[in-house]
Amino acid sequence: MSAEAPTTLAARDVGVSYGSRVALQPVTVELVRGELVALVGPNGAGKTSLIKALAGLLPHSGTVAWSGAALDSLAPRTRARLIAYLPQAPSLHWPMNTRDLVGLGRLPHRAFGAAPSDDDRAATTWALEQTETTAFAERSVDRLSSGERARVLLARALAVRAPVLLVDEPIAALDPYHQLQVMATLRAYAGDGALVVAVLHDLSLVARFCTRVLLLDGGAVVDDDKPERVLNARALERHYRVEPLVTTHEGEPLILPWRRLTPR
Amino acid sequence: MTAPAQASAHGAREARGAWALSVALAVLAVIAAGASLVIGRTSGGPTFGFGGPDLASIVLTEIRLPRTLLALLVGGTLGLCGAALQGLLRNPLAEPGLLGASSGAAFGAVLVFYFGLAGADSLMLPAGAVAGSLVALAALYGLAGRRGDFLTIVLAGIAINAFAAALTSLALNFAPSPYAALEILFWMLGSLADRSLAHVALALPLMVPGWLLVIAAARGLDALTLGEDTAASLGLDPRRTQWLVIGGTALAVGGAVAVTGVVGFVGLVVPHLLRGRVGQHPSRLLLPSFLGGAVLTAVADIAIRLMPPGPELKLGVVTALLGAPFFLHLIVRARPAAGT
Repeated sequence: MSAEAPTTLAARDVGVSYGSRVALQPVTVELVRGELVALVGPNGAGKTSLIKALAGLLPHSGTVAWSGAALDSLAPRTRARLIAYLPQAPSLHWPMNTRDLVGLGRLPHRAFGAAPSDDDRAATTWALEQTETTAFAERSVDRLSSGERARVLLARALAVRAPVLLVDEPIAALDPYHQLQVMATLRAYAGDGALVVAVLHDLSLVARFCTRVLLLDGGAVVDDDKPERVLNARALERHYRVEPLVTTHEGEPLILPWRRLTPR
Repeated sequence: MTAPAQASAHGAREARGAWALSVALAVLAVIAAGASLVIGRTSGGPTFGFGGPDLASIVLTEIRLPRTLLALLVGGTLGLCGAALQGLLRNPLAEPGLLGASSGAAFGAVLVFYFGLAGADSLMLPAGAVAGSLVALAALYGLAGRRGDFLTIVLAGIAINAFAAALTSLALNFAPSPYAALEILFWMLGSLADRSLAHVALALPLMVPGWLLVIAAARGLDALTLGEDTAASLGLDPRRTQWLVIGGTALAVGGAVAVTGVVGFVGLVVPHLLRGRVGQHPSRLLLPSFLGGAVLTAVADIAIRLMPPGPELKLGVVTALLGAPFFLHLIVRARPAAGT
């Protein structure tokens, strides 16, 4: 995260199709460092397609550029240091201990055969602290609950210390305490000058913690603005087909899906 | 304050543990090699020493040195490739034979027998085996394609194995003479007996590049622990990892099968026994598995020479006899976990 690094992740006409099915219609959007951007929308809206396209993990039309430099033109290792990505349902194939697993986030920073540097160790320890997983750092990951494992995998993505962090449903498996804790962590990481993009479903947390919301529906970005402007009752009724309770508590927005509307 | 310090010390200890394990296995390999040079076998049973000073140099360089070297090289190849394949397929049941490289090589060698070329030149047989393993790899590549996912590769490997086995049976069926059929069968059992330094010279140029390709995939194997998308996001393209491991395995295992026939299960058992001792790290498993495979194969070959008088047991028979029940044990143990 050096000071002279460019500051925007720009998607131009980025679209995704699986065969003849269009998952994401061409999107043009510019995301800026310091923002915590939420991707919201009903299931199948194209959120995961968009975040994977931004991560360069999905064949797509259009271009994604990090302040002018197309991601395709970067060496894989350079791109890996620039963009950290946490998939929606990450796999965990070998029961390593937690610290080793989080340390895999340092792979793009290490030369072939090199031992972990002090920086690597510091980043791993920092990531464990950020996700409150230090307590089971030496435990095997197959002895963790699914919520604990989800935090460890988030720690793995944080350990890259990339200026762009893309996370797909990072709090879906977490208890309320850790949902708040992870949202605060993501907010703080963005506050330190990173661009954080998160697919989220809890609209109250989106409204409280995120600085910008992209609302997707039917494979298109239908709104892109500050949370309080995007997440109004009309938009939620139209795109989520729920009648929400929208209010405030202690001056903070509170959005509860309350009643299903009849199917379209 | 002390807890994090202890914690990172623990992590470093595990990494050091992998090195300590490698050193211990290397020492064992040296001891096994020494024993393998000293212990021999005649039709009357095991012999010790070199059969007199005038015979010593001949026995050593013509008989026992090639046998010992091949045991270490073939065992190491099978252990290394087994560990790499298990990492690639993220499945502890993977084995070099899985790719079809072994059975392809076996069929190539059988063809040489079938056409009676084995007698023409002692190197024809290995050459046929190498060609067979390369054809099997090419078929795998053609079936699974450049973008082939891991499941497709496993299924393609099974199909190639079955086809190579069928062709081998066909060759046996039409064997020109009972003697040729017997020769084919015996060769397929896998053995280190009666090999020369020429066999070492033939296998090594295939094995060394194979090892290097597999080792180049080490970081990619670690990244694959987190799945293909995450591995790609870490800058370690799963496709590149895949072809490094598969290409390297085909070369190295093709070279191994060429000179010893099919020696099964070493590549399955060794990585499995060592995985827990290296903290489940796929890359840290590679070197210990190479050394462990070398030790296991050398020891098995020594054990064969210590058997009571009678026809010599084939190495491939011994490893299959011990390996197959181990494989079953792994499947039975893996089943409840797979169900959850």
